[in-house]
Amino acid sequence: MSFSFSWRRRKHAAPVEGDPFDDEFQRKLESLALVSRRVFAGRIRADRRTKKSGSGVEFADYRDYQPGDDFRSVDWNVYQRLERLLVRLHAEEEDLAIYFVLDASASMAFGAGLKAAYAKRVVAALAYVALANLDRASIVTISDHVTKRLPETRGRARIFKAFRFLREVEFVGKTDLGDAMKTFVAQNKRRGLAVIVSDLYDPNGFARGINILRYHKFDPFVVHVIDPAEAAPKLHGDVLVRDCETGDEREVTVTAAVLEQLSRAHAQYGDQIERFCATHQVSYVAANVERPIEELILRVFRKGGFLR
Amino acid sequence: MILTGLTFAQLATIFACAGLGVAALYLLKLRRRTVPVPFSVLWDRILRDREATTLFSKLKRILSLVLQLALLGLLVLALGNPRLGERILAGRTLVVLVDASASMQATDVRPSRFSVAKDEVRRMVRGLGGGDRMLLARMSADVLALGPLTGDTATLEREVDSLEVTDAAADFPRALRFANDVLRGASGGEIVVVSDGALGPAVDASGAVHVAPARLTFVPVGHSGRNIGITQFSVRRDPLHTSRYEVMLELSNTGPGPEEVELQLLGDGSLVDLTRLRLAPGERLPRFYPLLSGASRTLEAKIALADGTHDELAVDDHAYALLPERQRSRVLVVTEGNTYLEAALLLGEYLDVTDVAPAGYARAMVEGRWDAVIFDRVVPAVPPKASALYLDPAGPGAPVSVSKELWAPSFDKIDRTHPVVRYTALEDVNISVGRKLVPESDDRVVGASEGGASPILVAGTRGGFKFVALGFDVRKSDLPLRPAWPLFVLDCLDWFANEDARYLSAYRTGEVWRVPVGGAPKQALLKLPDGGSERIAVHDGHAVLLGERTGFYSLTTPEAAGSAEAEATTSFAANLVDARESAIAPRDTLVVEGRPAGPLVGFRLGAQRDVWVSLLLVAALLTAIEWATYHRRITV
Repeated sequence: MSFSFSWRRRKHAAPVEGDPFDDEFQRKLESLALVSRRVFAGRIRADRRTKKSGSGVEFADYRDYQPGDDFRSVDWNVYQRLERLLVRLHAEEEDLAIYFVLDASASMAFGAGLKAAYAKRVVAALAYVALANLDRASIVTISDHVTKRLPETRGRARIFKAFRFLREVEFVGKTDLGDAMKTFVAQNKRRGLAVIVSDLYDPNGFARGINILRYHKFDPFVVHVIDPAEAAPKLHGDVLVRDCETGDEREVTVTAAVLEQLSRAHAQYGDQIERFCATHQVSYVAANVERPIEELILRVFRKGGFLR
Repeated sequence: MILTGLTFAQLATIFACAGLGVAALYLLKLRRRTVPVPFSVLWDRILRDREATTLFSKLKRILSLVLQLALLGLLVLALGNPRLGERILAGRTLVVLVDASASMQATDVRPSRFSVAKDEVRRMVRGLGGGDRMLLARMSADVLALGPLTGDTATLEREVDSLEVTDAAADFPRALRFANDVLRGASGGEIVVVSDGALGPAVDASGAVHVAPARLTFVPVGHSGRNIGITQFSVRRDPLHTSRYEVMLELSNTGPGPEEVELQLLGDGSLVDLTRLRLAPGERLPRFYPLLSGASRTLEAKIALADGTHDELAVDDHAYALLPERQRSRVLVVTEGNTYLEAALLLGEYLDVTDVAPAGYARAMVEGRWDAVIFDRVVPAVPPKASALYLDPAGPGAPVSVSKELWAPSFDKIDRTHPVVRYTALEDVNISVGRKLVPESDDRVVGASEGGASPILVAGTRGGFKFVALGFDVRKSDLPLRPAWPLFVLDCLDWFANEDARYLSAYRTGEVWRVPVGGAPKQALLKLPDGGSERIAVHDGHAVLLGERTGFYSLTTPEAAGSAEAEATTSFAANLVDARESAIAPRDTLVVEGRPAGPLVGFRLGAQRDVWVSLLLVAALLTAIEWATYHRRITV
């Protein structure tokens, strides 16, 4: 009897080595700016738009009318055409606090460490865009607690400090988003956009950490890092599966039917996260590590309306 | 069930040890390889669905272990070579006599009686009981045991495959005596005769053969007997016309109905005579062909049914013969002149005659090689190194001494068995005067006068060479005027050259052949009719062998050491010519000592098959099941 085990070989399986952002990539990122779905009051004026009435004249967006809204904000032309009550939102440009919450648990480095490398590059790219748009950016790494923190900083020149910070991140420990977010909200009083970059493999449930951010008036933005190979491991026969974070073991006889069930469970878990985010108005992006990082930044985010 | 291999205690020990090993290997098989996964919660969801079948899964795993232990048990039991007890206790000792005589070549059953007989023996071998032992013997002119007594079916089947039919008659009494010798002292002895039954009575020179206490069983083969055969065939040269020959043959119709046949005579391969003959059932028809010509060496007789069909035995439809080879003899005649002698020698077609005066004898002996020397009223001082005919010898060099003169002697007594007087009429020869010869102890008196008291014609051997001494001068008798004179001279020369009445134009199969060969080799190479060859021992100038095939043979002797002559080749022929063997009508019963042989019983197909073979088959089946269930993830 023999067993075989190997993770699927991929086109982009090689982890990121050296500086992942060359000059050409940085030039592309400069033309982008991060779009926030909410407008926060800033300490100084910046290129951001706030919803403060009268302080901004530039049209920002529509949203559905809700009881209590000012009737003057209703766009009657749209009502006449679409028979829907939409409220015009005006923005005022202010700076924005953006927190990049990077999951640094052991599951992110599983296998060839593709998820970890991919997550680092996503954070680096988004941080660059934020700093280039004069937003305040901060990077926090978490496992079952906040393990490391890059304080808020502004200005494009700080991006190299962010890169250096990311290079030194180690992916160890268990995932517990709830405990980690409790610490996070306690340490960061200024509300803002909280971009969670994680595989969301939390045995206690992914929703708890996101809800804590919501309850504390942060704007959660979930970048769900997915490695498809984890849904279809090349296993066969009798094996003892061990969780790389908790060490929990299960005896499993892997057959084709079991692998099919695993793939289905993996997909259902992703659907469950996406459904939760949609239900709770949390921005969600699935980041497949087999897709080029440039495509993710330039196309997927633009397609989703996160970058312009 | 009885274990004939390892004992039960040994098997139990082996099973215990091997069982522990299997269990240990099984536990090792259950030890799983640890594989890290990023998120075990996903696996929990799968396992929850499969929890319901946990008990069944454990049972399936136990089934796998049980299968392997059962497999081991079967293999261990096979080591014990188990057998059913009653089969061991009922062991018999069997001698199977397979008739390989010429009649078994009959094709009334397809493909032949002999092939059917072999199939019958194979069935017997496969039906042997566990304790039975069998010896296979080929019954032909001799009895050939094909192997020892054994119960090994594979060995016996190989022996059956090696069986070959012969062209000879079977010696049934000899085969029965052989079987009795094999079964002497054995309990449960049984003689099985597989034959068409044309074996003759079980009586030989020693009397009737007794089979008891062994049981005699007969397995009949064949169902009809339409056959016409050549049951006699002989050829010889005409004594007076050696370029011609005469043929005697006999045809026998042993079938149930009248038959019309065409008889062909072939000389040196060419047709010399064709005759159509009709034979009634059971008729034996002799035919004599005098003064035939057209053949110098070989003669064959073939018969074929006139209606174009074939009878059921082909081996007796073709007979072979060889004419005696005619060699030119170099004859030296030492005489002062003898017209009668010269005239007689002129009748010999194959003679090279040289006349010399007595004074030139010594020189002629030095200068030439002679097959025979004739001394006419002359006696040499030194006997010649050749056979010699002495006419009226007198003197110290004569092979026989001369005692007294005989007045008007006559051939009162003649040894007609001697070849030198073959076809001669000497009784009324008138002789004026002669001499009484005094033979030595080994000499033969061929003719004698005075009531046999006075030898006048003596033959014998001196120094390894033959001689004939005639005790009177032929010129003083009327012998030269008689036909007997040239016949006597030529008979003497033929005797010297071995061309005598003992010449056999063909041997009979099934007999021991003593074929004369030249020189004194120890071995000769025999070329068989089918093209094969074998080495034959030579004793006293004769190659001795038991002939079993019809056809033409050639016997080559190697060149003698120091001789300038090349190797010598002797040819001869062999025929079946056995009316009893040509009578191929099968018998339903075989009677020995007045009692019919019993039928074949006690052979059941598969009885001999060892149980361990079945155990191994079951073990293989279990292995296949285990393999299939494992790879289908049923027992893992």
